[in-house]
Formats: sequence, structure tokens, C-alpha cells
Amino acid sequence: MAIIANRKRRIGRWVLIIVLIVITFIYLIPFMYIINTAFKPWTGIKVYPPTVIFKPSIGSFIRIFTSRTVYPPGEVPTEEEISGMKWYERIVYKETNEEVVRLGDFPRRYLNSIIICSISTLITVILGTIAAYGFSRFNVRGKDDLLFFILSTRMLPPVVVVIPVFLMFRFLGLTDTHIGLILLYIAFNVSFAVWVLKGFIDEIPTEYEEAAMVDGYTRFQVFRKIVVPQATTGIAATAVFCFIFSWNEYAFAFLLSRKIAQTVPAWLPYQMGVLGYDWGAAAAGTFIFLLPAMVFTIILRKHLVRGITFGAIRK
Amino acid sequence: MKRISLRSAAIVLSVSLIAGLSLASCPALAKEEFITINWAQWAPADYLEKLSRDFTAETGIEVIVEQTPWETFVQKYNTELIAKSDAWDIIVGDSQDIGNNVVGGHYVDLTTWITEQQVDKTFTPASLTYYAEYPKGSKEYYAVPCEGDALAWAYRTDLFEDPDNMAAFEKEYGYSLAVPESWDMLKDIAEFFHDPANDFYGVAIYGDNGYDSLAMFAEQVIWSFGGELGNYSTYKVDGYLNTEGAIAGIEYYHDLFQFVPPGFGNAFYIKTNDAFVAGIVPMSTNYLAFFPGLANKATNEYADVTGYFACPPQVGPDGVERRFAALGGQGASVVSYSKKKDLAFKWLEWFIRPDTQMKWAKLGGYTCHIDTLASHEFLNATPYNPTFKTSMEIFKDWWACPEYDELLRTFSEIIADYVIIGNGTAEQALQKCTEKWSSIFEEAGYYD
Amino acid sequence: MSIFKKSKKNDTRNGQVYYRPMRDITLLRLFILPTIILLIVINVFPLFWSLFLSFSRYSAKMPNIWGTNPRMIGTINYSRILTDPDMWIRFITTAKYVVLSVGGEMILGFGLALLIFRSDFKAKGLITTLLVLPMTMSPVIVGLMWQLFYDPNWGTFNYLLGLGRIDWVSDPARNLYSIVIVDIWMWTPFVMLLSIAGLSAIPKYLYEAAEIDRASWWLKFRKITLPMVYPLLLVALIFRTIEAFKIFDLPMGIVGRGAVAPRLLSLHLYNVSFVTWKTSYGSALGYIMLIIIIATTSIFIKYLNKAKQ
Repeated sequence: MAIIANRKRRIGRWVLIIVLIVITFIYLIPFMYIINTAFKPWTGIKVYPPTVIFKPSIGSFIRIFTSRTVYPPGEVPTEEEISGMKWYERIVYKETNEEVVRLGDFPRRYLNSIIICSISTLITVILGTIAAYGFSRFNVRGKDDLLFFILSTRMLPPVVVVIPVFLMFRFLGLTDTHIGLILLYIAFNVSFAVWVLKGFIDEIPTEYEEAAMVDGYTRFQVFRKIVVPQATTGIAATAVFCFIFSWNEYAFAFLLSRKIAQTVPAWLPYQMGVLGYDWGAAAAGTFIFLLPAMVFTIILRKHLVRGITFGAIRK
Repeated sequence: MKRISLRSAAIVLSVSLIAGLSLASCPALAKEEFITINWAQWAPADYLEKLSRDFTAETGIEVIVEQTPWETFVQKYNTELIAKSDAWDIIVGDSQDIGNNVVGGHYVDLTTWITEQQVDKTFTPASLTYYAEYPKGSKEYYAVPCEGDALAWAYRTDLFEDPDNMAAFEKEYGYSLAVPESWDMLKDIAEFFHDPANDFYGVAIYGDNGYDSLAMFAEQVIWSFGGELGNYSTYKVDGYLNTEGAIAGIEYYHDLFQFVPPGFGNAFYIKTNDAFVAGIVPMSTNYLAFFPGLANKATNEYADVTGYFACPPQVGPDGVERRFAALGGQGASVVSYSKKKDLAFKWLEWFIRPDTQMKWAKLGGYTCHIDTLASHEFLNATPYNPTFKTSMEIFKDWWACPEYDELLRTFSEIIADYVIIGNGTAEQALQKCTEKWSSIFEEAGYYD
Repeated sequence: MSIFKKSKKNDTRNGQVYYRPMRDITLLRLFILPTIILLIVINVFPLFWSLFLSFSRYSAKMPNIWGTNPRMIGTINYSRILTDPDMWIRFITTAKYVVLSVGGEMILGFGLALLIFRSDFKAKGLITTLLVLPMTMSPVIVGLMWQLFYDPNWGTFNYLLGLGRIDWVSDPARNLYSIVIVDIWMWTPFVMLLSIAGLSAIPKYLYEAAEIDRASWWLKFRKITLPMVYPLLLVALIFRTIEAFKIFDLPMGIVGRGAVAPRLLSLHLYNVSFVTWKTSYGSALGYIMLIIIIATTSIFIKYLNKAKQ
């Protein structure tokens, strides 16, 4: 009896593992599909049934990075012109019969994403840490109300907030500026940062601080030399979260930026090309854009629960 | 382990921050003299940039053509103009938006300039009316016709001229298969080729998008069947939009929509091209500006067997034959808030020159210049240029008043409900639209 | 982490130290005020502004002239929204979306959590991490790729499921479900993570005691697992309901905002405010959405407090 039960359990264990692996595989199909599409040549995308194995091409990646015009009908470059082309120009010419005009808008948009997300994350975390320390260590009058107020600003639908923000930014001349979006993202993320960081700082025992203050440290020195070093993990995790949130933000960026400060999510969905929808380039852009968020997610894996619940749940 | 990886994350963050900051702080390349032109993101804007290199060579003034995706093109310049932005010196704005921008004071009045430069003599009268004039019929101009455009068709000559197809069509419909001579014939052809079991469909037409594609297709069938959107000078809608001809037109749209490939409920400019290139339809509609994609052999394996035709005429329920095509295209206007209006005028003066217009046409732009349009050089430059010339004679535009966007949105929603989704009847849809439009005009004070 | 271990001892004090508070009052102000001021300027002030606008007639497309644009018209915007039959369709569609997607996520996420929690093998952590990936991706960009995935003519979704040429994106009868599917795909891991956290917190002795009593699997699940995980499931429910109610980027990526798009409130709000420029009408609609969110959240929080007791 015992042996049978044991074997049953062992089989059950393996079935469970296989089921989980299959589920994970199915779950990741969309991502594989993105990578698959990004490396397809132009003519390989709009075919049915879809192909999985094909000769990979980096044409899509070149197209997302360049701006091109199609050669007018009847205008064919000479052999000499073709041999004088740079390697990427030749790939574009062979694949879609286009002429590379200049560097495309994608690098600029990507850079915007990096600039806006990094600066806003940095400031958010600074503001968030000091405010969280304040809320954690001091007896603030109406603390719960204030904390709830801070949280509630995050619950507002962005499309609702964006109407008056749009009017205000237009009045102040902040539309389509880096500063405007950075300010917005700070406001958007600071509530999150305060809540999560308060949780982290609450966990740091106060004995050291008390001892240090007896030794003559000022409150600020205590904060800088004792609290911050101990909260590094929490601060770093919060920073990565803020970065991911602003990296993915769409509604504000879409409505409040046009060109100069436009980020990738507001730009990529509207690149269609004139020769037919350039799904290859879109997939290539998507791939490059999703990569940092993926890396950060993997780095963050231990803190995910805490982050996504605003620190309400601590594992 | 955790701590190390988080620290590395912090390092990555700060490195990217520094990289970003240093790049952001490096000043934009200073240009001596330049003007900025704002246009939608598409091939003609690239052509315009190419064309303007000659202007730079001639005068030393740099020309930057800024491109915004169609989805948000009008929305974005609307928001900038109301803030009196001087980001652009010239806007190549959509034809239907001209009223909005004139009433808002965003465009410079070009009336005297146009007569001085004789643009009213050298450009086609229809293009001036639709791209430049506001209010219509007032002879007050605010733009120079830049890119002419209209809805037209592409078809597969190999399928149309296939003897088997021709014989089968003749047998079924009693007349020979050819380029459609009426909208009814176009529907017959679509029905004839429609074969979903073998993944082949009758026709690729617009379904909808966030902007105006459905409305543009609907308006041209309404006109062709004898209906009207309304009276463009009195803004009366009742008795125009809910008439027999308009109903017949919308019903036709609904019937034709039965022959589209799956997934066309949100088909826009690109999707019809995609279907044609994929070889799943024998004919597709599009704005002429999108046809270079079909003539391109690298991306369309059927490029050699692709023919083009303008929207056909149609005998309406009242027995009168009419022919219309929905107008696309844009006029170039000088922005009131520009600080470089003199340079902008210099560019316009250069742009309307016959040699520039000829070059413009050769590069792939659609000129509205009478002499260029008539020249053999232009007609032979591309396989679709003759179709363009025909289309320029039959085009007509949407409302141009400031409320056009609200009219567009209401119309798209109501008509899509019948044509795409199949709820109710054409008569109900148009009646509902008539009522909504009338209330929009009443609220805006047109009937006072 | 050493920090966490130490902290457990001090959890009871909840980090509250009433240590010479008066001397630190300046520092405290310095620490908290920047955040509060920023939030007031960027969030609160605009909200009052739009509250004012919602009682007026105003279009952001037209020049500002006091008395005509904006012009005060009282509660007309609100009464118009609430009496418009089309609006009720939008409210119902949005509710349907919330119920379907959040319901699916709760069931699938909890099920997945049970599977993962019961299994024991080394790659468990890796699998959890991989499953979590969709959650932190940009919804609009992922949605865009799903649009291609769904395409009836050359997409892979129908092909993999052997469904034929089903039009997921542009058929109004189906496109709400196409977004629901992606939403479930993205956010099931969220419920899963919270459920795993809840499951791990159940003390082992409860199960051991049940084992001795020879309780059935179902009884154990109903009497031990579910009640213990319930508060965390409620937290997940609150977060997901709010997020699903204000969903905007996912439909924008998959279906767009055209006339055949599902009649979701946030898409309509965008169209009203930024396509037809009826700014004041949009503000009123925004306020109605806000009230709905606050109302639902407070109901849930009530339940949560009850569950915690």
C-alpha cells in the first residue's frame, strides 16, 4: 500500500511539473512571437499559415532605426550606386526598395524614455524616502488621512486627471517638454514610493538611531548615515519599480507630448509606414523597448509582491 | 545575491541617467536660417523634404519637415495652435480643418498674396476651393494647394483579364468583366470574386479608424447615388442627408462591405494596401498617396499586374448619373504665430513655381498645378498619375466648418453601427445622424 | 536579508517613535512638505479646476474668453450624461469588462498559485519569474503586438487554436473579449503572486491537524486554505477592479479608439475630451468615473477590514 501511494505521489509530482512547464510555455508564446516577427523579412510576415522557421533578417531593426522613402516607380539605382551603398542601405534597398533618408525617430524617442524615466525616478525616490522617513518616525497630525490622500492620487484614472493637467501645462508652456513629463511622473509615482518605502523604513529598528542621537548626531545625520544605508535594498527596489511604471506609462505621454519629449509608448503604436503596416519594424521596436523592463523584472522578482501592492503585503 | 543584483540595477539606472543628461544637454545643431513645416507622417512628407533641398540650395534657408502620425496629426496641431505656439512656420493642414483654424485665427490670410502670385489662375479651381478657401464661396484664401489627393482604386489586371474569369463573369452577370463603369458593377465584381472558403475576398474598402476613413468612403457613395451631406452654406441637414439618394448610397456601402476580408471593421489606409499586397483581394480602395506602396515591386509581388482606376460614376435612384470621389490632400498655410513669416512666404513663392511643381510631381507629390497636371511628363511618370488627373475633376469634400470633427465622430459612429455592425437600417441611421447634426449646428448657432 | 529578520522583532512597535518630536518639527516639515506640495499642484489643483469646468461649457480647442468659453451652465453636463441611453451602454460594457477580466484573473491566478504552491522542484522560482513577465510590460506596446497576433488574415492566435478566420479585433461582437483575454494574460500572475504569498503564510499545523481528523481535500480547502488566503484575494480584487475600470492603454493598443472599438468609458472619455474637444463634458464624465471608483473601493475596503478581524 505504502509503495503504491508513494509511486502515485511521485507520478503526481511529475505530472504537476509538466503541467506547469506547459503552462509557462503557452504563457510565453506572445513574447516568442514578438521575437519571431522581429526577425522575419518583409515578405515573411503577412503570410498564412504563419512560418516559424525562416531565414532571419535584420531588415526590421534597420527600418525601425531609419527614415526611408520608396524609390518612385521606374527609378532604379545603377549597379554603381548599389555597390556604393552602406551595408544597411543595401539591406533596406533589397528588402523594400527604399532609400534611407536619415536616422529615424526611434533612437530619439528611446533616449527620451530613458531621460524622463531616470530623472523622474531619481527625484521620486529622494522625495519618497524623506517623506517616508517623516511618516515612519514622527507623530504627524492627521497622518493616516495624509497617507490616504497620498495614495488616493494614484487611484485616479489618468484620463480623468489629464484634462486639467493638459490645460495647466498648455498655460505654463509645459506640453511636450521633458520637464513637464518628469514632473508628472514624479507626482504619479511619489505616492507609490512613499507607501512602499514607509514599509521598508518601518522595518528598520530604531535603536541605532536613538543611540546615535544620544551620541550627538543630529536628526538629519541619523537619517543620512544610519537609515539610508540600511534601507538601500528597499530604495533600490522602489526605484526600479518607479522606473518600470514610468517606462510603461502611456496616457500622459500620449496626450502631453508630441515630438521633443515623446516617449516610446506614445510613439511606437502609430508607426505604420506607407508600404503597408510595417509589423516587422514594430516588433523590432517592441523587442528593444521591452528588454529593459524584462531585465528589471527579473532583478526585482523577490520584491514584486511588495511593490505591486504598494507595500501593503510584505512577504 | 539579491543585494548585488539590486545594486547593479542602481548602477544601470545612474549610468543611463548620466548618459541621458549629457545627451539632453548638448544643444541642438544651430542653424542659420530655417523654417519648419508640419505635416502628417507619410511618404509625401518625405518627398517634400527631398524637394525642399533645392530651396535650401537656392536660398540657404534650411527646411525641416516635421511629421506627426495621422492618428493624432490634427489633434496635436490643434493643441499647439491654441497655445499660440511658434513651433511651425507652415502647416500642411487637412482640408476639412481649415475652417477651424481660420475661425481660431491660426492661419494668415493669403487672399491678396494668392491674387498677386496668380495662384488662382495657375492652380485648379476645385483645389483652391477645397484646400484654400474659407468660408466656401467667399473668395478668401488661407492656404496654397500642396498635396492633391482623392480616393481611387487599384485592381489586379491578371485576374480581370483572365479568360476563365471573364467567361464565368459574362455568364453570371450578362456583361463582360472590365474596369468598373459604375458602383453597381463594382459590387458585382466584388461578389463574383468573393470566395471566403479559399481565403479570397471580393474587395478591400475602409471600415473605420480613429480619424476619417469610414466617413470619407461613405460620403462619396452618398454623393454618387444622389444624396448630400447637407447644405454647405445654410448648414441645413434635414432634406439632404436623409433623402432617397443618401439612403441608397449607405445601403450600397453596407452591401459592398459584405465582401471584405475578415478583420476589416477597423480597416484604415494601410490595411487595404496590406490585403492587396497579400493577394487576397482583386481590388482595393485607397488615397492616391498610398499607391506608391502598390507600385513597389519589392513589397508587392503583384506590382506588374496592378492597374488603377478612379471612382466610377453611378446612376442614382432619381435616374441622374453622378460621379464623385472623396477628397483627401492638404493645403499649406502660414501660421499666424510664426516669427519667420517672411521666410515662409519665400518658401511658398518658390513652391508655386512651375518648375518646382514639376519636380514635386516627379518625386511623387500630387500637384494641383494646371500646366503640370496636363503635361505628358506627369501623366507618364507613374502608372497611377492618369487616375489622379481624373480624380481631381470629380472630388468633393466634407464639411469644413470648425465643428467638422464632432460631425465626423457622430457620423462615423452612427454609420458604422449600420454598415459595419449591421444594426438597424440605412434610413434609421441617416435619420439619427440628421437629428444629431442639426442639434450640433443649432448649438453652434448656425441657425440663428 | 538581515534587515528583514531584525525587523520582525520590532514589528509590534510599528516603527512609531515619539522621540523629541518638537525639536524635529522643522525637519519633518522639510521632509513631508515637498511631496504634499507637489501632489497638490499636479493632482489636486487640476482636479478642482476640472470640477469647475464640469459645470460650464468649455472647449479647449477654442480661445479662452470668460463668459463664453468657459460659460457656466450648472449641472447640464451631468444630466446630459446620465440621461443619454448610449452612456448606459458604455457603463454596462465597462462593468462587463471589469467583471469578466477580474473574475478570470481571480480564478486562474488562484488556481495557478495552488498548482505552483503544491509542486516542489528547483525551477519553481524560475517559472514564477517567467510567468510574471507580462505584468511589467507596457500594455499599449504589448497590446499592439496582440493586434498582430489576433489578425484574422495572417495572425497566429487563430492558427494556434485552430479557430479559422475569426475576427477578434474589429468585430464589435467579439473585440471586448479580445481585450479581456489579454488583460487576463497580463494580470493573472498578479493574483497568482498574492495568492502564493497568502498560501505560504498558512501555518503547517492547521493542515496537520486536519490530516489527523481525516478531513477531505475539499473540506481542507474550504475551511483552511480559502479563509486564510481570503484577505489577500480581496486586496488583489481591489487593485484589479480599480485598474480594470480605468483601463485605457490596453484597448488603445489592441483595438484603437475607432467607432467599432468596445464602448469603454475611458475610451469615450478620451474621444470626447481630445477628439471632439468637448472639454467640460469630458470633465463631468471624468468626475462620474471618479465617484464610481471611490464608491467601489470603499465598499471593498469595508469587506477587507471585516475579513482582517
